[in-house]
Amino acid sequence: MSVVQDLPTPGGARGMRTRASAFGGRHRSLSITLGMALVAAVLPVLAGVPPFSSFQPQAAWIDGFTNAGVFVLLALGLNIVVGVAGLLDLGYAAFFAIGSYAYAYAASPFGNQILGINVQAALGDAAGLVFWPMLAIGALVAALFGVLLGAPTLRLRGDYLAIVTLGFGEIVPIVFLNSDAVTNGTNGIGGIYRPYLPGFGAYSATNPWPYYITTVAVVTLVLILCYRLVESRIGRAWEAIREDELAAAANGINTVTTKLLAFALGASTAGIAGVLNTAKLTVVSPDQFTFVISFTVLAMVVLGGMGNFWGVAVGAFVIYTINNVVLKSLNQFFQSVGVPILKDIDFLQLQFLLYGLALVAMMLLRPEGLFPNSRRTRELHADVVPVEEDAEGEAAAGGAAGGAGEGGR
Amino acid sequence: MTAPATSAEAPPARSLSGPAAQLAVQLALVAAVLAGAFAVLGPEQFINALTLGSIYALIAIGYTMVYGIIELINFAHGDVFMVGTFVSLALLGTLGFTAAVHDPLLLVVLLAGDFLVTMILLGVVGVVIERTAYRPLRTAPRLAPLITAIGVSFILQNLVQGVPPYFGYGPYATNAPQIFPTDAFLRVGGTNVPVLSLLILAVALGLMITLQLFVGRTRIGRSMRSTALDRDAAALMGVNINRTIAITFFIGSALAGAAGVTYGLQYGVTRFDLGFQAGLKAFTAAVLGGIGNTIGAALGGFIIGFIEVGAAAMGQARWGPAIVFGALVVVLVFRPAGLLGQQVGERA
Amino acid sequence: MKLTRLGAAIVAASLVVAACGGTSSGAKTLKIGISLPLSGSSLASAGPARDGALLAIKEANAAGTIKGYTLAPYVLDHAVNGQYDTQQGAKDMTTFVSDSAVMAVVGPFNSAVAKVQIPISNEAGLLQCSPANTNPDLTKGDGGKQLRAANPDKINYVRVATTDDIQGPAVAQFGVQDLGLKNIVIIDDQSVYGKGLADQFAAEWTKLGGTVVDRQGADPKTTDFLPILTKFASESPDSLFFGGVTANGGGLIRKQMPQAGLGDIPLLGGDGIQDQNGGVAGSYINIAGAAAANSYSSVAAIHDIPDAAAFKDKFTAEYKTDPGAYAASGYACAQVIIKAIETAASKGDVTREAVRAAGSDPNTTFDTVLGPIKFDAVGDTNQKIISLYKVDMALADGKGDWAFVKQINYGQ
Repeated sequence: MSVVQDLPTPGGARGMRTRASAFGGRHRSLSITLGMALVAAVLPVLAGVPPFSSFQPQAAWIDGFTNAGVFVLLALGLNIVVGVAGLLDLGYAAFFAIGSYAYAYAASPFGNQILGINVQAALGDAAGLVFWPMLAIGALVAALFGVLLGAPTLRLRGDYLAIVTLGFGEIVPIVFLNSDAVTNGTNGIGGIYRPYLPGFGAYSATNPWPYYITTVAVVTLVLILCYRLVESRIGRAWEAIREDELAAAANGINTVTTKLLAFALGASTAGIAGVLNTAKLTVVSPDQFTFVISFTVLAMVVLGGMGNFWGVAVGAFVIYTINNVVLKSLNQFFQSVGVPILKDIDFLQLQFLLYGLALVAMMLLRPEGLFPNSRRTRELHADVVPVEEDAEGEAAAGGAAGGAGEGGR
Repeated sequence: MTAPATSAEAPPARSLSGPAAQLAVQLALVAAVLAGAFAVLGPEQFINALTLGSIYALIAIGYTMVYGIIELINFAHGDVFMVGTFVSLALLGTLGFTAAVHDPLLLVVLLAGDFLVTMILLGVVGVVIERTAYRPLRTAPRLAPLITAIGVSFILQNLVQGVPPYFGYGPYATNAPQIFPTDAFLRVGGTNVPVLSLLILAVALGLMITLQLFVGRTRIGRSMRSTALDRDAAALMGVNINRTIAITFFIGSALAGAAGVTYGLQYGVTRFDLGFQAGLKAFTAAVLGGIGNTIGAALGGFIIGFIEVGAAAMGQARWGPAIVFGALVVVLVFRPAGLLGQQVGERA
Repeated sequence: MKLTRLGAAIVAASLVVAACGGTSSGAKTLKIGISLPLSGSSLASAGPARDGALLAIKEANAAGTIKGYTLAPYVLDHAVNGQYDTQQGAKDMTTFVSDSAVMAVVGPFNSAVAKVQIPISNEAGLLQCSPANTNPDLTKGDGGKQLRAANPDKINYVRVATTDDIQGPAVAQFGVQDLGLKNIVIIDDQSVYGKGLADQFAAEWTKLGGTVVDRQGADPKTTDFLPILTKFASESPDSLFFGGVTANGGGLIRKQMPQAGLGDIPLLGGDGIQDQNGGVAGSYINIAGAAAANSYSSVAAIHDIPDAAAFKDKFTAEYKTDPGAYAASGYACAQVIIKAIETAASKGDVTREAVRAAGSDPNTTFDTVLGPIKFDAVGDTNQKIISLYKVDMALADGKGDWAFVKQINYGQ
């Protein structure tokens, strides 16, 4: 850790920024916690005041924020794989599915029967206690599958890895769909227990607050872990591999285990998201995990700014809100405004078009994402002057790899 | 087929003895796969697989060409194919043909016209997409055009779906005119072979051979190969990069258009969301065969056709897609560049 | 930058909304939620259900059915990226629950969404009427109890369609006993509906002495059924059953059967393929074309709808198209809900609980467009009538339509 912090801030210079980032570096966990607490407190207030409360009731906003939180988790995890380590994963929904089913097996009568355990008999009304250890176990199970997929395939380069992950993402739901005896096939697994925490408000279908607070807490924790990881020796190694795998290997980084670790950690975050989402829906079925999920999360990462965790979190939040709130509300919106032509159009039928246009437009306007990672930006601008690109790229990769090597001694 | 030796013809890492022999080996592999499939599936299912494989192959070639030249996974390509099915049905519908045409001369003229017009229109669509959504991002991070590609895919789907009754075909399956009689059979050794299947196979093979000749023997083809190898060097040698990439999109999209026409003839129906799944399979075919390699794309298309049909023939249709992707994973683990691909260093 | 401008527009518009909401007082507004997948491929079947419900609400307002109150529809679409989405379905139910003006909800369309919505609406005591769900597990047995965990005895979910454990066997009986068929092959579309229906059908078929020669589940996204049909053809069946909906290949299978040499055997199916006549784009008969003849289907509802023609006329007058497959069901659901609100209002007790109690009361007969309906102890319709149809290509000006064959009453 200390090695990383002692390194001069790359690209450095401006006083305020340096001081702010120095504070962020030293008190990273604290600043993330404070920031998240602030956001988590402000959002419900905003949702309760006029402009937003006329869209949908406050409780619906809170519920939507919780769903968005699940996507934020997914985006943070995929950001480790795609943004930091530079491995393109197009089948990320598979790990979301694995986490979801893991919780279903631990916390439903059907699942318990398959596993040969009985949580309800052991815990009674407190069966939902199983949620808490399952957050970790779900992450572990997903990570295990990440390693199983990654071990044979990570030597593939770039887009070949992308297509293998895409294939994996297609296979997993089909296996859940077709293995009727152990997964209940197309019907999915129902009757999943809601979380339970003594002394905390009851997790129920009509009270969005406990889920909201839990999600905020989990996102905060994951965000802290993400920053700690990426600023550690491993994080440096990931970035080195992303920049130049050969140079990284030459500098003593074990590229296979490092990439595998990125894959496993990315998968485990999806596993956590799956546990959380399933504990909220109380039903899991194979049709929840289509390629659309994988793609949506990828769009969140790219649009938020690859490699930049808070940017990615904001990207996830923005895309979720556009897709699941704004586009859904356009009909009511234009009808209430009363614009003559627009109020006769069924905007629900144009969602695809508008979403597609939004994606293209945002990409064309900000190809590096809304909040680009500083190093990524330099890469991009260096493209204009090819000579400098090489020098700087090598220096960055070498420096990063060197840092990793040092830490390893 | 002997391609003229040009500067663009890079000596492959594990060359046998020149491009001609290499091509022969690749074609022999294709023949072996076909023979094996015939033995396993029996004549009727073999024909089903060949027809399905031809359509996948035509779409896969577009993927592989675009990837070969700008290293973009063009997720909108499946939707370009979908647009092709609709252009073809709109064309025939406007002319008033909705049922099988039994006059041979008229049929030939109609089919030729349908293929020609659809392919040209779709080629233009491909060029427009490239110009507006991909070209501005050529120096952007590599994932940026991937996202716009999917954005374009959504736009195409919604434009075809439209808002009936004002415009568009709605979210339903729409009938495509099967102007070629589906009940015409050729009796070959005790098996009824649908003439339509033969036509589709002939069209697919004809277009593939034409493409090989075009890429191998023309000036534009040479520009395409050199741009694929090294864009900057090609530009220095006087190749107009923008034009070459546009032409590649034109050809790839035109082939997707041809696939759209054959699809309509074979299945007689289409839908706005057809392109996604077809595109996914075709992309898999392209990678399976070795991305960037046209013959590989064809081989991949046929293999996927055989797997899907084979699964159904074994009574396990529901496992078909899983086996396709499973086969892909296995092939890539053992041959990381696909069946016919060459291992080359990744461009940064 | 774009976002900021959009945000500003939203703020401005919302202020307008708020202002409007404040001024229009007079009759108090009660909302009826409509929760359906309304974009992408789901729109084709769920759109008519929405239109039916909207029509019923409009008529009730015009007639002043509920004195002192105006009914307002509150439509939410839970299709995300073109496909129904369970997470969004759950969120939409939460939206309805948290809006105190919402008295009841029409929906959902898919069983998978019902499974996430029922626990929420049950806990909130919000009446919900599905125009399309036919999966037995949503109400009956342990499955039903699991979904009603919060208030097991307060039924809040009712549906106007008969369940598949009646529909599937009815079609099997019709095939074996009336058509004299014996050796059937089955394709299902792997959906909750299609697979469930096919399971019920196959069990009854075997019980009646028939043989299920072969069965395959097909990827719902596939359009190429020739490989499956070619395999079936080699097993010489005398009939084919399709468990699934038109959108997942119903008409396409019929169209491809002649190509595989199965053109002469009949195709049997459930209400998933019983849609509009051959002149309507996307319908089973339209897609299958000339091959559609020799197809049988069922509808899990009464055929002799008292005012079928009148309903068709007013629907066509409103929307300029024929009513789709689920238009009458959506209309009927809204009728049930309006009647429940009316009952509650007549007692001066316009609360969710009163509406729920009135809507699920086993002793009330609801006069709907589908005929008189009562709900049983778990919320299923007592109208256990299965109507059977055969395609007649001479109908609908030669484009083909479903001709009524018979109806079987399993009630009492």
